[in-house]
Amino acid sequence: MESRQTSALSPAPALVASRPFKLRRNGLPVQIASRIGSGLLVLWAAVTLSFVSVHLAPGDIVSLLIGEQLRTPEIEAAIRAEWGLDEPVLWQYLRYLTRILHGDFGRSYLLQTDVSQLVLSQIVPTLKLTAAALFVAILFAVTSAVLTAGRRIPRSIAGALELTLVSTPSFWLGILLLYLFSFTLKLFPVSGDRSFSALVLPALALGLPLGAVVGQVLRQGLERALEEPFALTVRSWGTSGLVLRLRHGLRHAALPAVTLTGWLVGSLLSGAVITESVFGRPGLGRVTVEAVLGHDMPVVLAVAILSAFTYVMLSTLVDILYLLLDPRLRDEGREAAR
Amino acid sequence: MHSRRHALTLSAVLIAATALCSPGFASDRKPVSGGKLSWGVETDPATLNPQLNGQDKTKLLLRNAYESLLARTADGGYVPWLATGYEISQDGRTYTFKLRDSVKFTDGQPFNAAAVATNFTRLKDASYSGSASAGPVARIVEVETPDERTVSFTLDRIYAPFLDFAAGLELLSPGAYSSSQLKSGGPEIAGTGPFILKRYAKGQEIRFVKNPDYNWAPANAGHQGRAYLDEVTYRFLPESSVRTGALTSGQVDVTEGISGNDAGLFKGNPDFTYQTALNTGTPYSLFLNVTWGPTQDVRVRKALVAAIDVDGVLKSVYRGERTRAWGITSPIDTQFYDKSIEKAYGADPKRANQLLDEAGWTGRDPQGFRTKDGKRLTIEVVQAQATVRDQRDVLLQALQAQARQNAGIDLAIVFVDAGTYTERRKTGQFGSIANSNTPTDAIDIEYHYLPVDQGGSINYSRAAAPELSQWLTEAAGTLDAKKRFELYSRLQRFAIVEQAYALPLYEPEDQVAASSSVKGISFRPFKQMPESAYDIWRSE
Repeated sequence: MESRQTSALSPAPALVASRPFKLRRNGLPVQIASRIGSGLLVLWAAVTLSFVSVHLAPGDIVSLLIGEQLRTPEIEAAIRAEWGLDEPVLWQYLRYLTRILHGDFGRSYLLQTDVSQLVLSQIVPTLKLTAAALFVAILFAVTSAVLTAGRRIPRSIAGALELTLVSTPSFWLGILLLYLFSFTLKLFPVSGDRSFSALVLPALALGLPLGAVVGQVLRQGLERALEEPFALTVRSWGTSGLVLRLRHGLRHAALPAVTLTGWLVGSLLSGAVITESVFGRPGLGRVTVEAVLGHDMPVVLAVAILSAFTYVMLSTLVDILYLLLDPRLRDEGREAAR
Repeated sequence: MHSRRHALTLSAVLIAATALCSPGFASDRKPVSGGKLSWGVETDPATLNPQLNGQDKTKLLLRNAYESLLARTADGGYVPWLATGYEISQDGRTYTFKLRDSVKFTDGQPFNAAAVATNFTRLKDASYSGSASAGPVARIVEVETPDERTVSFTLDRIYAPFLDFAAGLELLSPGAYSSSQLKSGGPEIAGTGPFILKRYAKGQEIRFVKNPDYNWAPANAGHQGRAYLDEVTYRFLPESSVRTGALTSGQVDVTEGISGNDAGLFKGNPDFTYQTALNTGTPYSLFLNVTWGPTQDVRVRKALVAAIDVDGVLKSVYRGERTRAWGITSPIDTQFYDKSIEKAYGADPKRANQLLDEAGWTGRDPQGFRTKDGKRLTIEVVQAQATVRDQRDVLLQALQAQARQNAGIDLAIVFVDAGTYTERRKTGQFGSIANSNTPTDAIDIEYHYLPVDQGGSINYSRAAAPELSQWLTEAAGTLDAKKRFELYSRLQRFAIVEQAYALPLYEPEDQVAASSSVKGISFRPFKQMPESAYDIWRSE
């Protein structure tokens, strides 16, 4: 009980400790090289793990493609020959790797289209939604944390709101938003990736629960920062409470929230499937789910590579943000380089 | 008993209503040309090539751009479309079609005998068409084009469902076969339709624009000449409540796939029209596996059928919005449905219990389920999670409750992923699979009752009694419709009453709701799926 409480209250220290340690060890070129190396390793691991797990999952691709239609040995042979499934699995794996290295992601078994084109056509709406949801999340988290940190009653109201948002199923939240703002008030259109206004509701549906999670972490960080001696010093200069919170407190509080956001954004990229179907939006989420269910290997692998790449980029970005946010880390880096 | 009669009367009224409103719907005012329409649909097509797409729900989109040789009439007859007529040779093996003049594909290629021949010969190639290559097209041994406007197909032997297939195959421009989009479909794949496929955005919408040259509508269409609408966009909205909301708030003009709960919003509301049509083909039925588990014993199968009050279950699950099914094909099939099956069997819990006692399932476990040699009487219904629709999960649960309450049968519903479902289907390790399918002309019966490895691709009872294939082969091998009716009727009685291979539940249906300013919406005669946008116009 005791330990659970501590970790629930302060996930921050553990997250903060691991990252700066790595940064301050080496000089910049070495850091970049190791970054690229580990990035490539992550990409390879993602491809391999996806390949293995699709093969381990029940159901073979030929049967899945035939589904409930007529099945004859000739049809099976034609499908195997078309996709090279008659070769040994190891050979298929190596062939995928070589093809990917040449930038050729193949064709989708299920949709019969070029995978690069498919993914590219779906990634733009996905990125738009992710960016908009992120904006909503940050706006919500910062507002809620700055206004309520350390204030007993507003804090518990915000806490309750956040808890509700986090625990509301995204399907239900989406339908609720649609019902209110689209069907009844007719402010925003329901469907598609067509205009900016069509982006508002899905961004809220996806961004609010994310903002609620980040808001909780941010508020805890902010409260800790406000109790530190520097807060008293700043206050003694005659700075107003809000300025203290915004200019000084947030910086201290941001580190764990940034890590968490980076991780959550990564999951948004292919995890927005429910939001996409409720709002009738194109996007990677639905494509991914269908590909995994149908064992559509070329699509699964392309999405795996894209996700791994995104995570690597995000974690690099988070590290850079750390340096910008916390001057102490920069100094330590310089000392270590010396 | 009373509710059953009510359901049948209701379906009769619905059929009559659908038949009436196809061309007659617009009769209050003269149709006007122009305008755009947006239509919310449930299903995003797996491929836009109509020859490769097996999803019934996407036919209404693709039929705007792709057409076939003949159209059907409500009573199952054929009328001219891209062909002006057809002829079957004396020996019943050769079908000759005379083609219409001055039709052209929307990519400019002429529609002629060579183009039709290309479509049929390419379909025989498994590397292009996969499973379709083993369908009726596989029986063609010779394709001939004696002149520009005549094409004939000779079969290895008489196969009665061939005309239904040949008349309905959507024809593509010969140019399509050299396109990189051939298998995925798309704007490069031209047809002859009243609309041209302009743009497809996966997961979002598909847009069609008017074909300015169109002048070859089927003889029984609502009008002739060009389509009324300039443009029609179908938006993919997978959630039924969202489709409903989009229509009520005016964001789309038409939607399909209305849940039983939402139907009341549109029925009798002057701002909207609401139409339904029963599907063709095999009703949604619980098929009982004769090769695995307790359902191998015919007494257990009959006991399950007798344990369940289908009328009561449908009433509670769908609020009376669905039609009870009794046989092996749809009650609206004017050719081959023998309605003497109705009430030939039914709920009889006493008999169910008696049958199970006889079969040796006499023990009871603490939960009240019957047992034999210490083993519970469990029938495992395997259901793919991804394909649950039309509240069928709730329906299955209601059946489960009845089986337990009335006869102590444990109807265990197992929801699985697509891969596991495929695996269980292939190995035959399941107690029951519930399923329906829509082909007409008894092809649906063949799929369900031929042996698994001889064309019974969805034979989920896995029945292989020699009578079944004998009757089916005989029926397909004659062009005598009366003889065919008798054979299917015998098969129906054998499969449902005598052997209890399946428990028919309800006949699925299509629903279309529209803003009342949209006129001319109809269902295809005979095939019963929502018709293309050709006859649709806007009154404002």
